[in-house]
Amino acid sequence: MSVLLEVNGLVAGYGAVQVLQGLDLHVNDGEVAVMLGANGAGKTTTMRAISGMIQRKGTVRFQGASISGTSPNEIVRLGIAQVPQGRGTFTDLSVEDNLRAGAYIRKGASVEDDLAEWYDVFPRLQERRAQKAGSLSGGEQQMLAIARALMSKPKLLLCDEPSLGLAPIITQELFAILGRLNTERGLAILVVEQNANLAMKIAHSVFVLETGTIVAAGSAEEIANDDVVRKAYLGY
Amino acid sequence: MGQLLQYLINGLAIGAVYSLVALGLVVIYRGTGHLNFAQGEMALFATFGAWWIYDHGATMWFAVLTAASFSFIVGGVIEFTLMRPAGKKSPLTVVIVSIALFQGLNSLTTLLFKGSADGLPFPSLFPNKPGDFFRFGDETVWKYQDIGVLATVLILTALLFLLFKKTKVGLAMRMVANNSDSAKLVGVSTTKILMLSWGISSALGAVAGAMIGGINTNITTATMFEVFLLSSAAATLGGLDSPIGALVGGLSLGIIKSLVSNYPEDWPGGSYIGAPTAIAVAFVIILVVLLVKPSGLFGSTRVERV
Repeated sequence: MSVLLEVNGLVAGYGAVQVLQGLDLHVNDGEVAVMLGANGAGKTTTMRAISGMIQRKGTVRFQGASISGTSPNEIVRLGIAQVPQGRGTFTDLSVEDNLRAGAYIRKGASVEDDLAEWYDVFPRLQERRAQKAGSLSGGEQQMLAIARALMSKPKLLLCDEPSLGLAPIITQELFAILGRLNTERGLAILVVEQNANLAMKIAHSVFVLETGTIVAAGSAEEIANDDVVRKAYLGY
Repeated sequence: MGQLLQYLINGLAIGAVYSLVALGLVVIYRGTGHLNFAQGEMALFATFGAWWIYDHGATMWFAVLTAASFSFIVGGVIEFTLMRPAGKKSPLTVVIVSIALFQGLNSLTTLLFKGSADGLPFPSLFPNKPGDFFRFGDETVWKYQDIGVLATVLILTALLFLLFKKTKVGLAMRMVANNSDSAKLVGVSTTKILMLSWGISSALGAVAGAMIGGINTNITTATMFEVFLLSSAAATLGGLDSPIGALVGGLSLGIIKSLVSNYPEDWPGGSYIGAPTAIAVAFVIILVVLLVKPSGLFGSTRVERV
């Protein structure tokens, strides 16, 4: 199993505030990695540092090549798509324009095929294709954000707290879809999640983040059997 | 009745110029959230440039197209060299830089075209001899010049609309306008899009300058100030982020100004309403509209569920 994304000694923050204090993590080809951590631990900062949205130090390697100095609009071309926290849909644009926006880096007729394919996976989006994205429900917007990311044909999907503000049943549906994207299509996913129990079900590996560093890492089983982590994040 | 129609028609041409400058303001506002105070003076500089090219023996069309193309590049350069570094400081810095640019370009124009304070004769792009008009009925005429201005503005608006709605670069511009972070995440070079927006806006201004020059038959270093004032009002009236709003806002303002200017003195309030107070009355009307509809006639009130 080869390493797709490798992060070493990642340091990042906002202005004078340093949030990440030398963070290491990796995502293998075809696997789902879950990042757990309390509010303020640095999960979103990690995601934004990987996708190049904020200044960072340390090494970030994707498919063996360094992307530490690469800008976000180039990183997505290499095959990393991010679903940002709070969904980040283009609220004034129609659902279909949002999806076309996702395919911004691509050319050719295959975009239309993909559009049809994701409408198949997310039928609600097809029903609302002409509607402004801002008028969709939270769950629908999250589906749209994921579908938009997929339109760039990524090798790695970064999902930043997809369950935020959603009803439990929608969250379950969402993770079922993420799980299927991984098992059926071999898509590698790095997902940040507060709902640890749900996320662990689709995870291959787990990283636990506390105040800017990884405090525990291992396979999903190892972490589930770690008493300290289990009590703190799984609640039993 | 015929007279009323005449005033409406008269207002359309000048209103179209307001629309064009307002469109330029909207294009930049959508991308950056800033009002470009230098929009009018950038256009002024370009218009004097067009006159200079014409004065050196070129045709008027060639002169205006060259000035507009040059403005396109200059607009991008201004964004890159002045506005972007300013934007990294604070929104107030951007305002100050654009006001400085406003003043600086006006002074530069005065300096380069010394002795033209009384105005340079500016030829129209369209036939504008005494008999060049259509006649409706007995008392209404529509000058070819005014039709030309209106047609030019409508065509440019339509092209801009097609750019926004039908092209990939237009989609990218709409993305940047709506959510700049997400635009980056899907692969848009937001910096290039902002340069392009400034370029388009600046080129639209250059065309607007040539139009107002043709209407007034001369240009002075003060020409664009009133145009800018009314155009920014037009953009506000239409809704600062709406291209259609800019078009409607500009045309409405032109018509209102023309009607108020010709308000009969023996009508109620006739001693107060007239040419000298036309702009004031126009602004009162805008104020009332904004009180009722704060986002402007076509401005987006964001529909957003969370």
